[in-house]
Amino acid sequence: MTMKPESEKYNKVLNILRNSKPLLNSTEDIEREVINKIARAHQNRLYLSKVIDFLFGWVYIGWVRRSLITASIILVLVFVYQQSIILKRIDFLSRQTVIIDRENVSTPADEIEKMLLIYKNSGRRFPSKTITISEKQMKELLESVNELQIKYKDLENLIEGDPELKKLIEKKLIESNRTRINL
Amino acid sequence: MKRKPIKIIVSFILLFIASCEEPETVVTNYVHPDGSVTRKIEMRNLKNNFGQSDVQVPFDSTWTVRDSIEIGAKGDTTWVKRAEKEFKNIDEINLAYKFNLGANKGISRQAGFKKSFKWFNTEYRFFERIDRQLSFGFPVKDFLDNEELSYFYSPENLKHDKETGPDSLKFRALADSVKMKTDIWNSKNLVSGWIDEFSKLSQGKEGGQKVVESVRSHENELITLINTNDEKLDSLWSNGIILKRFMSENEYNTFKSEADSAIENVVDQIFFNFKDYSVRIAMPGKLIGANGFIDSSQVMIWPVRSDFFLTEPYEMWAESKIPNRWAWIVSGLFLVFVLTGVIMRVIKKG
Repeated sequence: MTMKPESEKYNKVLNILRNSKPLLNSTEDIEREVINKIARAHQNRLYLSKVIDFLFGWVYIGWVRRSLITASIILVLVFVYQQSIILKRIDFLSRQTVIIDRENVSTPADEIEKMLLIYKNSGRRFPSKTITISEKQMKELLESVNELQIKYKDLENLIEGDPELKKLIEKKLIESNRTRINL
Repeated sequence: MKRKPIKIIVSFILLFIASCEEPETVVTNYVHPDGSVTRKIEMRNLKNNFGQSDVQVPFDSTWTVRDSIEIGAKGDTTWVKRAEKEFKNIDEINLAYKFNLGANKGISRQAGFKKSFKWFNTEYRFFERIDRQLSFGFPVKDFLDNEELSYFYSPENLKHDKETGPDSLKFRALADSVKMKTDIWNSKNLVSGWIDEFSKLSQGKEGGQKVVESVRSHENELITLINTNDEKLDSLWSNGIILKRFMSENEYNTFKSEADSAIENVVDQIFFNFKDYSVRIAMPGKLIGANGFIDSSQVMIWPVRSDFFLTEPYEMWAESKIPNRWAWIVSGLFLVFVLTGVIMRVIKKG
């Protein structure tokens, strides 16, 4: 019983509020604001379009477009070429020998052998100026001479102890002498 | 196996007996992008003997020096001298080479540096070059194939490792082949030098031209004679038996002194004083090329031996690059810009 009149009252109030329009003091202001908002949105679009036109206007100019595309292609080609050359060179370099130990700078034995060869081939001539050889070289040379003497002696003993071998070696030596140019 | 007559070896020792103890030297060039070079020398010697005249590369009192001693496992002492100097540019190094009073003072050496801007990268090239010693002779590459050449220019410890390693047979055969061919090369250089010198000395003398031409046309025969008769070569030469094969008795008598002087001059030129050492180069940025070897600390290394620059210059070079990041960014932005323009045009057209 009590609910019905309350609900009716509520509906009545609602109808009154729905039917009563808001009181507008400055409709012109609102109009202006709406127009400005629309104009601003349009201006932004116009500005963006101007920037895009400014930046990419060249796409409509044939020679500029072609030049920039050519420049881009050249840039890519240069990049690819340079990088491929560098990669090839790095690959070649990585395949090069890696020395595990520290470099040994001592004079190699063949350096002395070369000096000996020139000495022999020049009819045992030696230079007028002084040539210095290191103590280490000298030591190496003397050691190899000693070693050679020992080996020579061993070889002599071996040959003397084996008549077959002696014959064979004598034969080979005769053959070797024959092959030499007869002066 | 090649025979080495003991008599010759001993007489050789007695003739050349003049010894000195030079340090084992490694010179390292730390190259900087602006062209300046920090040069470090490490000298090792069994004696505390590091005089300016004993060191293989320019070294003087202006270097910052650090001395130390290393005691080996057997109790042997090695004296180590480490020196360092900052060279503002390559000219300073070349000046040091020019006025060098060290062990290798008679050898013409230069260094060079080049910086090339290549948009995406800046490339650097540094080299050290030793000029050829002989005005005559043939390049060693005419006598050796690529594998043999690589072996010829290898550091001694690498050769030793190969000759005693798993493929020792192969490398010993290679070493023998290199030895045999370089012997021929040395003989050819000697003969070629002798003919050149003989030609110079007999110039202007009557019949000189004819004799020189005759000898020149028999150059290969002369080399064969020398190589096959090395033991009795001195007597064959002094008795005129060799030369009389290419000239008459009269001509031999006329040109004997020139022939003797020529061989002496050539021997003087071939036997020049040089003390071996090693060069290392550390480049700025990433290494992209070099003609040397890589050591355990990933630095390029070259052995320097007198054979290497006898008949042709020996150049040790390394190249590296530093990427220009700004150029990569600029190029990327440019590509994006052009690509966007093209896409926009395609869209608008569509």
